[in-house]
Amino acid sequence: MSFPFEIYVIQATHGVVYGMLLFLVASGLTLVFGMMGVLNLAHASFYMLGAYFAYSVTLYSGNFWLSLLISPLIVGTIGILVERFLLRKTYKIGHTAELLLTFGLFFVFGELVRIVWGTIPFSIPVPTLFAGDVPFMGRTYPIYRFFILGFSLLLLLGMALMLMRTRIGIIIRSAVSDAEMVGALGTNVPIVFLGVFGGGAALAAIAGVIAAPFLSIYLGMGGDVLIDCFVVIVVGGFGSLPGALIASLMIGELQSFGILWIPRLALVFQFLLMAIVLIIKPTGLFGEKE
Amino acid sequence: MSHPRAYQLGFGIAVSVFFLLVPFLLPEIGIHLAIEVLIYALFAVSFNILFGYCGMLPFGHAAFFGAGGYAVALILKNFPGTPLLLAFLLAALLALGIGAFIGFFCVRLSGAYFSLISIASQMFLFAVALKWRSVTSGDDGMTFARPELHLPILGEISMRDVVNIYYFTLTVVAVAILVCYLFLKTPLGNSFVSIREQERRASFLGYNVYLTKLAAFSASSILAGVAGGLFAFFQAFVGTSFIDLNMSMSVVVMTVIGGKAYFLGPVLGSAFYIVFQDWMSSLTNYWMIVVGITFIVIVLYAEGGLISLLKNERVRLWASRLNK
Amino acid sequence: MAILRLENIYKDFSGLEVLCGISLEIRRGERHAVIGPNGAGKSTVFNVITGLYKPSGGKVFFLDQDITGWPIHRIALLGLVRSFQITTIFPTMTVFENLRNAVVSKFNRRFNISSLLSRSKEIRRECDRILEWLRLSHVRDVPACELSYGWQRRLEVCLTLALDPVLILLDEPTAGIDVKETLTFVEFMKEATEGKTLVIVEHDMDVVFNIADRVTVLNNGTVLVTGTLNEIRENEEVQKAYAGRK
Repeated sequence: MSFPFEIYVIQATHGVVYGMLLFLVASGLTLVFGMMGVLNLAHASFYMLGAYFAYSVTLYSGNFWLSLLISPLIVGTIGILVERFLLRKTYKIGHTAELLLTFGLFFVFGELVRIVWGTIPFSIPVPTLFAGDVPFMGRTYPIYRFFILGFSLLLLLGMALMLMRTRIGIIIRSAVSDAEMVGALGTNVPIVFLGVFGGGAALAAIAGVIAAPFLSIYLGMGGDVLIDCFVVIVVGGFGSLPGALIASLMIGELQSFGILWIPRLALVFQFLLMAIVLIIKPTGLFGEKE
Repeated sequence: MSHPRAYQLGFGIAVSVFFLLVPFLLPEIGIHLAIEVLIYALFAVSFNILFGYCGMLPFGHAAFFGAGGYAVALILKNFPGTPLLLAFLLAALLALGIGAFIGFFCVRLSGAYFSLISIASQMFLFAVALKWRSVTSGDDGMTFARPELHLPILGEISMRDVVNIYYFTLTVVAVAILVCYLFLKTPLGNSFVSIREQERRASFLGYNVYLTKLAAFSASSILAGVAGGLFAFFQAFVGTSFIDLNMSMSVVVMTVIGGKAYFLGPVLGSAFYIVFQDWMSSLTNYWMIVVGITFIVIVLYAEGGLISLLKNERVRLWASRLNK
Repeated sequence: MAILRLENIYKDFSGLEVLCGISLEIRRGERHAVIGPNGAGKSTVFNVITGLYKPSGGKVFFLDQDITGWPIHRIALLGLVRSFQITTIFPTMTVFENLRNAVVSKFNRRFNISSLLSRSKEIRRECDRILEWLRLSHVRDVPACELSYGWQRRLEVCLTLALDPVLILLDEPTAGIDVKETLTFVEFMKEATEGKTLVIVEHDMDVVFNIADRVTVLNNGTVLVTGTLNEIRENEEVQKAYAGRK
């Protein structure tokens, strides 16, 4: 079946929007894994918490933008507390314990959210600043999605600048390569870990906030995005941000066009992709040595 | 026989007698619970072959549980005349086939990579179960009628009576768990542990790590398939909940809480999980959090699980040298 | 007479050449030491021989068979075993159970499911025999992680011997052991490897003088010279290589 050209562009844009959102969440996950060797299953919980806090803040203050400030702060703090007081204990036990702990946290956070906010999904209205549609490709397209795109690109730029140009960024990048060496050179590695973990959590929360008006807020949102993140970091490579970016966009497009062409199999393709990458090049497209 | 062994044996006999007499001791709801405990016990034991014995952590083990469930349901629904035991045998074989196939690809990976591909394969099968409506009825699930069980001397046993279902489940689970126990005490079972303890030295002693792990993966998937088949049979229903992330997560929680360091740890874990869930969910909305927090506490402070707190033996050593 | 032959072995790691054309021969029954300054490639040679690494070039022959690129376990089953610098014993298993793992492999029962391991008298007898022979009976039921460091190193070597191998590669077996214990350890090794071929990587020259018939000196990934102890001592290049490192 063939679609008119405009449809392809619109679907492609959908794909990029979701892809960028996915990247915001997956970047923290992949950095933490690359640097600390920990696959943080609870990372998606930070995303979900970000969305739910956004709901509450918007509800009580009437101001969506306030939640963009407050939610990441709260979640980032939670992330820091988790790393400092729970995750750190597992480093000397072993990787299995790390995995199990983050798994347990994912579980517990899911339940906490259910208890505090209930099982009924929520929605936040799109903020008035970006409400409405705009003409695009002969049809109309929601302005808010362009905002998501623009904002994520802005964050991406910020991250890139920080990692490439600032001293902190260099330390972080070196720690991803070889944390032990960086420690031997005098850097306070535990603080770096703490910062990256907390920063990643905050970033995931930001993604949750801006996704909330777009994707709605429901209990399973953590699990859904977690699976997509796994596919991203496997395909893109553990620890690689460029890899995560490309893989996120790939997944976004795969889902977007998959739904268009073969809706019934869309879900299946990304797992096949993941399995193929794991078998052929386990370290991912951009991953480092094993 | 030293004292601890005598206590263990005595305790074991008491528990066995209890399970034999459940239909006489408990109300119908209790029998339902007991059936669930038995089924999840088998599921958790199968999981522990990979986790406790072989040192692998699959987060998608529901793939085989669900495969077994769907197999039994599909056979009994589409070929109603099939003898019950044959249906289960075929389900076990299907689970084995899927397990060997998936294992062929993922067993060469380890650590987080292995855990991830385990989830990926389970999600793949979940997607298949969800979308292949013509065969699986998607998220509506499939119901079917339980046929009678034909036995040589005892003749036909109707499976509409929950007591009969209970004894059928008890027999299958008891046999499966016993077979598993003996299996893990063979040289192959010892190979599993050797690979977990020191994979490098094992391979330099001539152990084929890949094939050994594949053997564990296959054995684990058969038992999980049988458990799934039993669950489908018990409910006279199968649905996507048999093969979803939640089911995979449950078995991890049960095994970790019960204890991976001993063969019966997972059984204790499933009993705890099911009974606790039933008892607590009527009292409070917060029972899952309690389970979650218990899980975290055990991960941090008592890796051998609840059973290690009861046994207090070599688990300290076990715990201090966990698979890295 | 040569049971192990390396032909022009090259090994590079992403551009870094660690082994550049190593050729050497190990004769049946000899005790051969491999020495050289740090970074000379000694452990890498072991890793290539035993299948941990695939060489980037060259071949490895064992008992006249080309074993280049063979998987680790296949090489071990041919009778080529090694110990590691970092101990690789089975930590929570007892000394008996550690040795039993080797015996199970020796008897080719790794995949056996037709009998219970604890019931096999044959295996138990063989384990006890080995415990006696290698003088480990007094720690039979001690978990390996509870042994002293010296005894753990000893167990590491004993695990390789339990396979009744043809060729034994020992990678710095005495590393970290104090002087007194080293002497007994070396005597033990000489006795236990009687009739077998032994290749040993060592930094401790006393051990080398005590054990070795022939010595190969490696430097910068190449073989400087192979010869008897005296020949090595007199060799100018060897002296230069060691002096240059000080």
